Amino acid sequence: MNSSKRMTLLEPFFYSAKNRFFPKGRLPLRTMGVLAFSLTVCLVLYKIGVRVVTYFHSQNELGIILSLKIFQMAWITMFAMLIFSCMVSAVSTLFLSQDNEIIFAAPVAKSDIFFMRYVTTSIYTSWMMIVFSIPIFAAYGTVFQAGILYWPLMLGTIIATAAIATTFGMGFTVVLVNLFPAKRTKDVILYLSICFGIFIYLIFRLMRPEDLVNPDKYGYFVDYLSSLATPAAPYIPAAWASNLLSYYLLDREIDILVAALLIITPITLFILGEWAMERWFLPGFTKSQESFGGYRRFFSRGKYRQSALRWIFRKEAKLFLRDSAEWSQLFMIGALVVVYLYNFKVLPVERSLFEEEYVTNLISFLNIGLTGFVIASLAARFVYPSIGAEGGSFYIIMSSPLSTGRYMLHKYLFYVVPFTGLALILLVVSNHLLNIEGPMWWISIITGLLITWTVLAMALGFGAIYADFKAENRAAALGGIGAILFLFSAIAFEMAIIFLGGAPVFRVMKSWLRSGTMPPNDLLTLIGWIIASIIISLFLALFFIRTGIKKLEASST
Amino acid sequence: MNQGSNKKEKTWPEHAPAMVIKDLTKTFGSFTAVDSINLDVNRGEIFGFLGPNGAGKTTTIKMIAGLLKPDSGQISINNRSLASEPQKCKQDTGYIPDRPYLFEKLTGFEFLQFIASLYNLAPDTFNKYTAHYLNLFDLLDWQHHLIESYSHGMRQKLIISSVFMLESPLIVVDEPMVGLDPKSARIVKELFKNHAARGTSIFLSTHSLEIAEELCDRIGIILNGSLRAMGNLKDLELEARLQHSDLEEIFLELTGAYELQEIIAALRTG
Repeated sequence: MNSSKRMTLLEPFFYSAKNRFFPKGRLPLRTMGVLAFSLTVCLVLYKIGVRVVTYFHSQNELGIILSLKIFQMAWITMFAMLIFSCMVSAVSTLFLSQDNEIIFAAPVAKSDIFFMRYVTTSIYTSWMMIVFSIPIFAAYGTVFQAGILYWPLMLGTIIATAAIATTFGMGFTVVLVNLFPAKRTKDVILYLSICFGIFIYLIFRLMRPEDLVNPDKYGYFVDYLSSLATPAAPYIPAAWASNLLSYYLLDREIDILVAALLIITPITLFILGEWAMERWFLPGFTKSQESFGGYRRFFSRGKYRQSALRWIFRKEAKLFLRDSAEWSQLFMIGALVVVYLYNFKVLPVERSLFEEEYVTNLISFLNIGLTGFVIASLAARFVYPSIGAEGGSFYIIMSSPLSTGRYMLHKYLFYVVPFTGLALILLVVSNHLLNIEGPMWWISIITGLLITWTVLAMALGFGAIYADFKAENRAAALGGIGAILFLFSAIAFEMAIIFLGGAPVFRVMKSWLRSGTMPPNDLLTLIGWIIASIIISLFLALFFIRTGIKKLEASST
Repeated sequence: MNQGSNKKEKTWPEHAPAMVIKDLTKTFGSFTAVDSINLDVNRGEIFGFLGPNGAGKTTTIKMIAGLLKPDSGQISINNRSLASEPQKCKQDTGYIPDRPYLFEKLTGFEFLQFIASLYNLAPDTFNKYTAHYLNLFDLLDWQHHLIESYSHGMRQKLIISSVFMLESPLIVVDEPMVGLDPKSARIVKELFKNHAARGTSIFLSTHSLEIAEELCDRIGIILNGSLRAMGNLKDLELEARLQHSDLEEIFLELTGAYELQEIIAALRTG
């Protein structure tokens, strides 16, 4: 071990971070904004956490057991997510980083490189999880009135658990890359983590958490909870963390054995990781330089035809379907659609105080906004980064005779088809499950599609304005300021449309449900709202697309 | 408009220059990267653009390719202004960058189809030239493999094939030989000469003085964003006040790099 070399290896990381957040040694407005935003999110999470835990806590013994069970689940979920995200990052940082050639060619021990990669990968993958888990776990401390010692204990436990997850993830990745080439390993881990995400999501939803507030179902939950009352999963480090803090929350006692395990495990795993690095790194790195598709032949079907539109479509489709990080997201979308529609199936409208028809129509109206929100989120993931994803190859488009406007139009048309299909599935099926017919059916379809098409244009426009041609992948663009601004603007637009339509739709639907007629005055107001929505949509779509085109044409590639 | 067969569409006067640059200027903040450059490239001419690192070569080339907007000045390609008719000018220009960024998940053949579509190349022209250039650059066996598995040189050869396939009347090249093996470099040089003989104009930026000396009809030397000298080898000799010198000596003289002699002397004695 050479500590000065280790510090030297970490310098690029720290200097880059310093230059990013404190350019020229100053604290810029942007950094302060990020800090203020993060603090606000933490505060909101803390407040929500306190409210939820207080609610459970007030439900006698049962509530306390349940809240601690959720506490354990939160730890295990955080731990598993950290392992997966660390492994996905570790494949990139250890084996596929661009600076690898400089660093491995230098006279540096592999254990020193492991240390450097460990520190940087851990910070990258766990900072967000640590920052946003603190308010949740802090809420437990507040509600259980755990006292001053709880805070350092909680912080130490979070850091130790994160360290266990990342040391395990890194070490396991070094071994795994020996079995598959690095790019293939990345895919394998990605599939596993997506399956894990879908599993957690489906399990949580299909457990029907809404029944927790339904007194009729309490009998069932008592049986369920009694089976969960014993401490679970004694071999999972996240359960150690949860148990250590649970004992402290309940009895103000520290389990020394568990505390020792939490301290010793990451150190042991780190030493094992260093050893694995010495033993297996070079064969893995050699394999990682093999191309993923190098030995495979792809046959282009069909003859060449003169059509830029056709080829922009084919290029987008091929790039999407040949990139496992992209197409594998379709599974996640599938699960999202299933759960989304399942929510409508199990909606307890019959327990409502109002007439069922009124409630279902109101839900159908609000569902326009909800669908719009799903579309906006997916557009942020797929459409927003689609221009930046051209990367260094964007010069090919810009130096070609295809105008920027036409390029944007082709891109828009490519995404409009699947997104329209998705919006229609969400709207038509949920309307069917709610037994919606008549004017509301049409209102929801027309407005839903209008919102979808506008949000797509906004995503593309923002994507062009904030295009990051150096982003490693599409997902990386999501963290940027442009993506956040797009989401805020899209949601504000959707809320404006829904808010403006509330009164006219209510009036039309009220007389329709009462008498099966639509008074001309109300109908005119409704038409007025639809025309106003179309004008607002067109204005926003054209404004953002045009601004995007101007930005692309003015900027260097 | 069918822009497919570019060669048949020559509507400009035969003797007019293929490209004219007037007072071209580009600044980045307070730094002037390109400062009032004036030059023209004649039909069938290979024009070499030389200069030390950071002199403004790539910035100029990017402006010609339509990738950077000039702050002032004009670029005309085949008598059309790049600012007012960008699509038509780009249709007439093939651009080969110094770094071969390509769509990694397309195969080489798909990439060529994509480029052909962007430039609206006629299917006959595509079929005629694609196989020819792929064969010439030993890429036939690799045409159906993903570009991500190509070496740097193979990518460069693929881009060069895509541009030659277009039969553009003007080819703009930034460092053409980077990453090419000797055989491919030879082929590229011959292709440049061959195309120039058939009337294609080539604007070529390079660090290699041998290539410039061998290929170029005229050379422009750019220094700190300004055109320091322009002409054929004889004109440059005169400008540098040197006789019977090779391009390296002329270049060093004109770019003020003669302090290099002292450095070399110091290195040899040290």
